[in-house]
Amino acid sequence: MSSQVANPEAVSQLHSSESHSSESHSSEPHSSRSSINQVLRLFGTEMRLFLRESQVLIFVFGFPVLTVLVLGGVFGNETGDSGFENINPQAFYIAAYFGVVLAAIGLIMLPAHVASYIESGVIRRFETAGFATWVFPLVQFMSGIAFAVLGFASLLATAYLTYGIPEILDWPRTLLGLGLGTLAFTSIGVALGVFMPSARAAQGLGLTMFFPMFLLSGGGPPPAALPDTMSTVANWLPLSHVTRAIQEPWLGLGDGQDHLLIVFAMLVVATGVWMIKSTRVSAAA
Amino acid sequence: MGNQTKTDSAVLEIDSLTKAYGNRQAVSSLSLSVKRGEIFGILGSNGAGKTTSVECAQGIRRADSGQVRVLGKDPIKERAQLRGRVGSQLQDSNLPDQIRVAEAVDLFADDRTQAKMAMSNWQLDEIAKSKFGGLSGGQRQRLFLALALLNRPEIVFLDELTQGLDPNARRTVWELIEKVRDQGATVVLVTHFMEEAEVLCDRVVVMAGGKLVDEGSPAELIERHSKGIRMRFEYDNADLDWIENVPGVTGVTPYGTEVGVTGKSQVIAHIGAALIQRGSIPESIRVDQPNLETALLKIINPNGVAHV
Repeated sequence: MSSQVANPEAVSQLHSSESHSSESHSSEPHSSRSSINQVLRLFGTEMRLFLRESQVLIFVFGFPVLTVLVLGGVFGNETGDSGFENINPQAFYIAAYFGVVLAAIGLIMLPAHVASYIESGVIRRFETAGFATWVFPLVQFMSGIAFAVLGFASLLATAYLTYGIPEILDWPRTLLGLGLGTLAFTSIGVALGVFMPSARAAQGLGLTMFFPMFLLSGGGPPPAALPDTMSTVANWLPLSHVTRAIQEPWLGLGDGQDHLLIVFAMLVVATGVWMIKSTRVSAAA
Repeated sequence: MGNQTKTDSAVLEIDSLTKAYGNRQAVSSLSLSVKRGEIFGILGSNGAGKTTSVECAQGIRRADSGQVRVLGKDPIKERAQLRGRVGSQLQDSNLPDQIRVAEAVDLFADDRTQAKMAMSNWQLDEIAKSKFGGLSGGQRQRLFLALALLNRPEIVFLDELTQGLDPNARRTVWELIEKVRDQGATVVLVTHFMEEAEVLCDRVVVMAGGKLVDEGSPAELIERHSKGIRMRFEYDNADLDWIENVPGVTGVTPYGTEVGVTGKSQVIAHIGAALIQRGSIPESIRVDQPNLETALLKIINPNGVAHV
């Protein structure tokens, strides 16, 4: 017996430390680990794994911070610019870039991650190890929210250190917009990942959706600079509604009511999609 | 399934299991029973339905029809009650490339103590901080086996566990599997390695085209499907008639200065004794013992369609 692979005697002792008899398992489930414990363990592991993915770090933290710095520097902080609805451009972009963080999570980070787990058989391992089928998507959902909070914090820190944090004129509605937007885009990310056939496909689709949304939904050119056709397209993009649901109450551009309703509808649909998919036995579909 | 004695000792019972993927019938009317404490092999060519069968047994695939009971429970409806009682290493189940070995063990272990023991017992401490994506094939299989046996399961499904391992590592894993069984766990082994099945398994079933085509102990299958022992030795005397009268001999074929003899297992001793008696001891005797691989080839043809 080679000792290079493992130690059979020790393994033997490990197994003898508790009987395999049917009596020891006959009436109660063996595992002392509750589903909540599973969720917390997997959440901790997944957070560490996400932080090791360069693409996640670049798009959730690097890209929004660098781009808002550049655009803020280009357009300055003069109020009264009609292109920015008479709002200080730097304030306009800082509020808008909270939406860009969410787009990075929902279109790039989560879909590729979830799809890669399905494709490579990681989900299969969780299932055979006794993880409830809903644990994995729930943990992705939680991870998305956690990364959104971290992304928001990095944006606020950047704003604080450079152009200043714009005054929030309607706190409750702004927080509602941030909260619903976070939930909606996290849900969209999990749903996209569940349905994508491969990590490569998820990554391709995510990037294809991310950049148009980023450019047309408030993160790119000033809204007034968009031609009518582009404005119409922008109005149909999910990120536009999330951005406006945050921007309007924050900067006093409106109450964001209609946008909040649309974001809420997006949340319900996306959550329904991944919940239905994940509660089915994976291969039984 | 109705046999009470069998039911009492069976930890896995599959009755008339059928599963299709579109138009392709993966498993057809499969019935088998695995007794507590045995190492049970599922053999067959690629696409025979072996993996689908164990996936259904684990509740990660839903059968089209038929019944599966693991430890007396339905693996899909009573999944929660089987959690921790069933261990597995299935083909194509994986870990994230970025996860470190210690993190993986922590994630799947019931508690820290168990994780620490597994790390030590499976000699994973030395690669604790290595990322899964950077492990060698042998290291991966060692980790997979540790994970499959982490929570002291009563039944363990091992699907192509030793694939990709070098012969030395493979034999080490065989020993580990036997040790695990010796402590009372039941092992269901899906393998392409006939030597592995012959060494480890108490009983095997052979699948072809989604159907069970034969079952028994490896020795029974060898006996049933092989032509017996073949011997070949130097013998330049033209008189071969006496050989046909040696007990157990079923065939004699001259090959120039050599002669080939086929027969039942005791023929080796009888031929040896007869040669000594005649004072004609050959320089060399080659004996070709039948094995499970030759038996399996007799049972299934290369296309996976059963002869029997």
